[in-house]
Amino acid sequence: MIRFQKKNLLYKIYTWLPILALFISVFNEFDFNYLNIDYFSFNFPFILIFYFALKAYQRFDYFLVFLAGLFNDTVVGLPLGISSMSYILICIFATYLRNITISPNLIKDWFYFLFIISLINSINFSVLFLFFSYELDITLFIVNNFFTFLFYIIFSIFFKRYLKSLDD
Amino acid sequence: MAESRDDFIIAIRSAFLNKSTKQKFSLLTLVFFSIVIIILSSFNFKAITVTKSVIKEIVYRSSFIVSIPENLIKSSYVNLNEYTNFYKEYKQTKEELDQLKSENISTKIIKSENEELKSLIDGYTITSNKILAKVIVDHESPFLRSIIINKGSKEKIKIGTNIYDRSYLVGRVIEVNYTNSRVLLLTDLNSNIPVSITPGNVQAIVVGNGDKKGEIKYIKNDLINKIDGQGIAYTSGTGSIFKSGIPVGTIDLKDENEKILINFYSDFSQLKYVFAEIDELIPTPVETKANDQTQVSSNTEQIKLDLISDELQILEDSNTKFLEENKELNTLTNDLTKQIEILKSENEYQKSVIQQHNLDQEELEFLRLNLIYSSRCQSKKLFSTGFQVGTEEYKRCIMRKGKISD
Repeated sequence: MIRFQKKNLLYKIYTWLPILALFISVFNEFDFNYLNIDYFSFNFPFILIFYFALKAYQRFDYFLVFLAGLFNDTVVGLPLGISSMSYILICIFATYLRNITISPNLIKDWFYFLFIISLINSINFSVLFLFFSYELDITLFIVNNFFTFLFYIIFSIFFKRYLKSLDD
Repeated sequence: MAESRDDFIIAIRSAFLNKSTKQKFSLLTLVFFSIVIIILSSFNFKAITVTKSVIKEIVYRSSFIVSIPENLIKSSYVNLNEYTNFYKEYKQTKEELDQLKSENISTKIIKSENEELKSLIDGYTITSNKILAKVIVDHESPFLRSIIINKGSKEKIKIGTNIYDRSYLVGRVIEVNYTNSRVLLLTDLNSNIPVSITPGNVQAIVVGNGDKKGEIKYIKNDLINKIDGQGIAYTSGTGSIFKSGIPVGTIDLKDENEKILINFYSDFSQLKYVFAEIDELIPTPVETKANDQTQVSSNTEQIKLDLISDELQILEDSNTKFLEENKELNTLTNDLTKQIEILKSENEYQKSVIQQHNLDQEELEFLRLNLIYSSRCQSKKLFSTGFQVGTEEYKRCIMRKGKISD
């Protein structure tokens, strides 16, 4: 395991890694869409935001999450503010879950995550379709929702290790 | 019951309003900000438009820089694939090039004629200037299909500007910033292209299917049968969204859902550079119209003449070549005729030899049989049952092996 000297610049960057990953993913659309697998896509920012908001990670600034949403809208071509709202709603739901949970359970979190992303994707779809007259394929939304749900468990293992490495 | 309700309210309040130690804003404030931005961005306030434009300029550039490592991996993969198919593609391209060279001249003539006629009809000429643009962001969203190019209002790009990959249509500009623009690709669900389909000249609308193909929609049922698998779709120019006559794709006949699809000529996932067509209208003033027309027509005539003389030169060259070939073929034909005559005479001689040989064979057979059966066939003085020696009947009797009658 790599060990950093505290107050080292590299250590500081390491502590900001979730936010950096979030910005890289929104700039870069990190979702393996270029693999051209039919219908395959997942929303990495949703997983990242939910996990770190749930764990109340100190460096995970909500304002930066909000900014990442604005950038995502610009890159993807959605009306400005849609992704920001989605990301902040995820933060709210994650914070609520944290507040009501006494003993955290990964499986419970996982299914709660499914409920949250389904709700948020539904809101997104409705807003885009009703207010902005976007033609969207609901199948793509459902598939994206499903894969995001599946990938949560995989990424949560990595994120857990990351948080543990910081505690050490 | 009341206790659990209180807990719920406390948890909600805490989620919305409580700021953690290092948070600058509460989540409620940020949700409020988001909603305000969504509402404002749906209205076209100038301040909002300018702010959006500035954000986009920054984000597109940043996205381009952040995407460099990923793009490097992607391009290496594509390059590797290209190298493996290099020779095959080279041969194919060479053949296509030869074909295209020959077609190019006729196209130029048609184009100049077309321009001349358009200028006569509309009173103005459209000068098309295609500028090269680099694709700086091409992240495929699962829901939307668009790219960002590095040319904007600075280079006179407007909303609706047609974008090409070589001479194939790939989309149109839907959003213009100062140094970059967003292009809606033909595969997007929101893209509608009026097309003509040949053969049959069927008019239809092609709508992107959100994946890699387009789907033909809004077509009369009785015209569907006119479309076959060899069909080509090109823009019809209806609605003035796209110029007419731009190749779009080939027909891919009905899939399992009875839909007629279009295979676009371009692979939209491999776009690196595209062409943006900037149209400029040059009006023809009324007072100088006659002079200008003469000048324009004389210029066009000159171009046409040049092209025709080029074509003539090519035809003459090919004609000379054909004449030479013809001469060679004539001499060859003469030689062959002579050979045929010699062979014919040889054949006749051989035939006569064979005939003679057959006759000799028959004579020998007669003589052999005569020795055996002459007594049976000769006539007797008292009981005249045979034939006189030397007659035709006698010979036939011998050949029948002594039988007087058949």
